[in-house]
Amino acid sequence: MSFVPGLGMAKGLFLTLRRFFAPKATIRYPEVKADVPHKFRGRLQLLYDEWGTLKCETCFQCAQACPVECIDMGGMDTKGRYHVHWGAPETYGERREESALRRSGRPVPDPAYDHFAPIDLAAVDAVLDEHDHDPAKMLQILEGTQAAYGHLPVAALKRISEATGAWYAMIYGTASYYRHLRFEVPAAAAQTAALAERRPSETAYGSALDAALSGKRPN
Amino acid sequence: MTAVSRAWGRLTLPGKVVFTIVPLLVLLTIALVVAIGLFGTLVVDILIANIGIVRFVVAVTIILLLSPPIAFVIIYMEMKIIALMNLRLGPDRVGPWGTLLSTVHGLKVLMKEDFTPTGADAVVFTWAPVVVFASTIMAVLVIPFAPGLFGQDMNIALLYFFAVGGLTIVGLLMAGWSSFNKYSLLGGLRSAAQIVSYEIPLTLSVVGLLILAGTMSLNQLVELQGPHLDAATGQMTGAWFTDWFVFRQPLGFLIFFIAATAEGNRTPFDLTEADSEIVAGFGTEYSGMRFGFFYFAEYINVFVLSALTVVLFLGGWNAPFDINGIFAWLNSVQSVVTFPTAFAWDVNPAAVGLPLLFIVALAPVLATLILGAPFYLLRSSTKWWHAILIGFVLFNVLVVGLLLVWAYVNFEWAAGLFWFLGKTFAFVYLFVWLRGTLPRVRIDQLMGFAWKWLLPASLLNLFVTAAAVLVIGG
Repeated sequence: MSFVPGLGMAKGLFLTLRRFFAPKATIRYPEVKADVPHKFRGRLQLLYDEWGTLKCETCFQCAQACPVECIDMGGMDTKGRYHVHWGAPETYGERREESALRRSGRPVPDPAYDHFAPIDLAAVDAVLDEHDHDPAKMLQILEGTQAAYGHLPVAALKRISEATGAWYAMIYGTASYYRHLRFEVPAAAAQTAALAERRPSETAYGSALDAALSGKRPN
Repeated sequence: MTAVSRAWGRLTLPGKVVFTIVPLLVLLTIALVVAIGLFGTLVVDILIANIGIVRFVVAVTIILLLSPPIAFVIIYMEMKIIALMNLRLGPDRVGPWGTLLSTVHGLKVLMKEDFTPTGADAVVFTWAPVVVFASTIMAVLVIPFAPGLFGQDMNIALLYFFAVGGLTIVGLLMAGWSSFNKYSLLGGLRSAAQIVSYEIPLTLSVVGLLILAGTMSLNQLVELQGPHLDAATGQMTGAWFTDWFVFRQPLGFLIFFIAATAEGNRTPFDLTEADSEIVAGFGTEYSGMRFGFFYFAEYINVFVLSALTVVLFLGGWNAPFDINGIFAWLNSVQSVVTFPTAFAWDVNPAAVGLPLLFIVALAPVLATLILGAPFYLLRSSTKWWHAILIGFVLFNVLVVGLLLVWAYVNFEWAAGLFWFLGKTFAFVYLFVWLRGTLPRVRIDQLMGFAWKWLLPASLLNLFVTAAAVLVIGG
């Protein structure tokens, strides 16, 4: 079939004709704005390409655009001559080692990606079934999910968002509000204790908050 | 005086030409009107005696005036259609649905600096776009738009068309050579090689058609595809689209269309100014209005080639079906409704008498109110002045539509123009569609296709047609 002359052309022409009548992807920006949830914060992350080079070009556009100036960054220019930075001088870090990893030819592990690792979603689905996919029972769903996985993986949160119809950012907001819900794999008990040791003030604040919430007067 | 001379000195050569010719033309026109007013019949008699020259001048003026709008429409079509095919919206800011964007582009080109590079052959550099543009415009002169609506009816119109179209090569070579730039020269030579190569199958593919038709006049070619007296049988034939030459010369049509695509420098054969690959070919050093002339010429060329395809193979101004024949047949079959078989819509405004005044004065107001009323009554959120605006727009659409229908029914040329432009712009759409779909060929593929496939195919078409005419006897 493939050697019929002009068949490929006919196929292409038919494809473009179908596209001609298909709905358009353009969003007319100043008139139409994307429907962003009001708790949307986004998650900042630096991405690597497949050779292990940082995709960040140190162009500072994100830092300049950040309304609350929470993004700090620093780096060299492409010749490695200047040490440029945006934000407070004590906070900027080093820019990538240009192409050293690229030359090595190996993919580079990026712990940031671990959050997005695909997981077995059967447990989340079971929890969702149990709670009727009801976004009003979000806390129970999240607690069930944490009981199943030990923490709240990103994939599970996305699954919950899909299944209940709640915005991901809302779920993220809910999950980050309750301190017994966690996004990270729980560390060893000793490490947790060491952490608590280093942050006594926060623990104290937490217990005071607990007391206030449960109606007791702080002692 | 110094200001005037300084301004004159700043003008480029084409600017000087335009600023000389346009006032001269305006003066001549005024003089002509004054002369007709003063001497009346004498001037008219002189004009009628030289009707050929008058016709030529009028035709050239009209074509020159009409060519920028045609180019603008085609440029807009190209932007919009390709955008829609790419799932984009395309131009949508300037004018309704972005229709004025190409006009604004044209104005922008006018305002840009018109730059002549150091070392360029200034005279040739200046005249190259003129030659390209003129050769394209001159080709429009023989195209029959509608019955009685054509520049010149030559008996060698087709030959003239190919000869004048071949002049484009000279312009492109001039542009490439005079730019003092090796890339321009390369682009010019490439385009010359391409156009010369494709000129041969383009011309040969039509010869079979000429054998069948026995004439080179485009008008007669169109008439042969419409209702005409068949010499052999002595009867009227050809009211339907089956008499179009495309059904008698399908291979010729295919070759002609492919070669025309290459001749017009359109995708997939647009190597000469492949804007994504070789800077701009022969146009590398051009800027401002001189570049604009190349651009205009390209798009008018698209129109001209579509028009020629329609004239030669798709019946030109002829309607694809015989509406009167259909109505006559319907009348013979049934007697419930009587369809008019000969349309004549005689409106005699004088016969209406004094009420005509009231109709003229009241009809727009009443129609506006009546047409706007449903929108006001059926949707409570419509403001009254919105409803009146909608009514007024609807009234205008209605009146213009009725006027067009009236013109179509009463004037042969209006109906002819409708079908001709419809078919031509369908072909323009096809050209744009191809550009939105096909990738560009390589230069060796381009040449190989012309010489190894199109040329033998057109020769085959010619021989088969000639043999068939010999055997069947015309």
